[in-house]
Amino acid sequence: MTDWSMDVIGWRWIMALVLCTPNEVFVEASLEVNNTQQQQYPINVYSDLGLTRNKIITAQFECYQKIMKGDGPKSQDSGSMCNSTWDGWLCWEDTNAGLIVEQHCPDYFQDFDPSEMVAKICTDSGSWFLHPDSNRTWTNYTRCNAHTKEGRMTAMNLLYLALIGHGLSVTSLLISLGIFFYFKSLSCQRITLHKNLFFSFVLNSMITIISLTAVANNQELVQRNPTSCKVSQFIHLYLFGCNYFWMLCEGIYLHTLIVVAVFAEKQHLMWYYLLGWGFPLIPACIHAIARSYYYNDNCWISSNTSLLYIIHGPICAALLVNLFFLLNIVRVLITKLKVTHQAESSLYMKAVRATLILIPLLGIQFVLLPYKPEGRVSSEIYDYIMHILMHYQGLLVATIFCFFNGEVQGVLRRNWNQHRIQFGSGLGSHQDAMRSASYTASSITEVQGCYSIDSHSEHMNGTKDGTKDGATLRRPS
Amino acid sequence: MKLILQSVLYCCLLSTVAHCVELEVNPELKKRLSVWMESRLRRHLNSMSAERVSESEQFVTPEEIRDTLIPHSSNGISIRTKRSKNPVNQSRRPGCSLGTCTVHDLAHRLHQLNNKFKIGSAPIDKISPQGYGRRRRSVPARRVTLGLAQGRLRPVWSNTVSQVHKLEALLLLTRT
Repeated sequence: MTDWSMDVIGWRWIMALVLCTPNEVFVEASLEVNNTQQQQYPINVYSDLGLTRNKIITAQFECYQKIMKGDGPKSQDSGSMCNSTWDGWLCWEDTNAGLIVEQHCPDYFQDFDPSEMVAKICTDSGSWFLHPDSNRTWTNYTRCNAHTKEGRMTAMNLLYLALIGHGLSVTSLLISLGIFFYFKSLSCQRITLHKNLFFSFVLNSMITIISLTAVANNQELVQRNPTSCKVSQFIHLYLFGCNYFWMLCEGIYLHTLIVVAVFAEKQHLMWYYLLGWGFPLIPACIHAIARSYYYNDNCWISSNTSLLYIIHGPICAALLVNLFFLLNIVRVLITKLKVTHQAESSLYMKAVRATLILIPLLGIQFVLLPYKPEGRVSSEIYDYIMHILMHYQGLLVATIFCFFNGEVQGVLRRNWNQHRIQFGSGLGSHQDAMRSASYTASSITEVQGCYSIDSHSEHMNGTKDGTKDGATLRRPS
Repeated sequence: MKLILQSVLYCCLLSTVAHCVELEVNPELKKRLSVWMESRLRRHLNSMSAERVSESEQFVTPEEIRDTLIPHSSNGISIRTKRSKNPVNQSRRPGCSLGTCTVHDLAHRLHQLNNKFKIGSAPIDKISPQGYGRRRRSVPARRVTLGLAQGRLRPVWSNTVSQVHKLEALLLLTRT
């Protein structure tokens, strides 16, 4: 298993290297080409690359059409107005005097950041701003490429952050899944839910890595626009939804177990499967249909469409429901703990710990930072935080709910000791073997049966007897 | 003590719905909201009427001009220009600004940054004071039209004075 994981990590690094080198080489090369072009033919900058010129000419054409259509009615009240105009790159509509109009930068050039703004000033006299240096009408495009280098660096940093995060997540989740499947003594409803959640994490991480490396970085593929990349985008969105709906399932399960069902023996897992794997198909299909009708861009790669809310709206709703569950669970836990414990400080510590443990499982972090801020610096910080939270969530969940889990540790320790007795009895001393045997026995009693309550609530209660804890927790509030 | 703890816990929930509450309480924000709504409505109406007009009497559809230009592009791959209906009208770009959307944003950004079918860097002289925005107010003194010369589409500069010339220019463009 470890060999395999090392392999995966190595492979990722190689892939990252392979992906990053040609890009840089290309950027340098294209810069050189441009410089020479500008020196030799200063006018005909757009000669070679068709896409940029096509875009500009199409925009110009649309602009002229718009100006022609708008000319009739608007000419009557053009007392102090700047008239609509085409400035060479962008179209500007009729503007009242004394206003500054802003538009997003066009995406004609690689170093133009479409999230930045272009500004054009309509002076008080009702004419467009003249640049004092040249005494010509002038639009301020300087902001478009002022921060492009930083933007590119941020994007690359985020890409590597995502790749490393997902790589680590996949390895740790696969190890956890291996543990859950290998040790049959662990299997119970809670672990079954964990298995499904982990599996959805793994699938989501894999498809995210594929879409970030093979689709988003592959211009030829996007230009060819084959059906397969749209299918992969559909699968990506479906698995993305699955992941969050399995978090919702965990929330529902815990909530039902701790708050609602006082006498429930076993919950029907069929509904969880339906919600976790079945329901996300609905928004994914609606999105695919809507996208193919209303915004059918190449490989559906653009994020500039509100159609994405079809996917992310239900996810957000699921997360909000989970937030409610978390608050309710913590409330119940505190009331229970208050009955059993007297020290208040330790009680709050335990409540805080329970909350912190459950936050990554239920995906609450995305609700606490719901909206992307507008400013450049703040949105960059937000991007970093969100990407770290998102791409390392799998690793965090696997660590907390498998590697740090008391039951799992107990089973592993027991197994390790058995292994040592079997193969190492000749080498180890007699005393050691005795000690480990007794240890094994104790851990067997510790692990026998499946605790109905999440093992962390047991630790919160401070005792190791799971059934007793289950009883105390289940007492109605 | 219990009250304090509960209030702290529900604080998170409150912060998420704070936006709506603020809007209801704060009259200044309310005013801003109404202004915003009005502008949205106006923009919507504008685009509606523009669309209606464009459907009925569009001289040339963007597809046509694209078709005429594609053989002109030197690389052999047929290029579809990005579909954007009204790139000019958006003061706030549409798109998902929720926290979970950052993955798609990143993919889109990577795609845009590494697009080698675009020119790498914008021509500096066009951004400089000598650059864009230089041409005209509403009626241009000179107008570029695409004319067929030596078997290739070439921009042709012509002096235009009136609306008639504008129309002429557009019709000329259609023919080529």
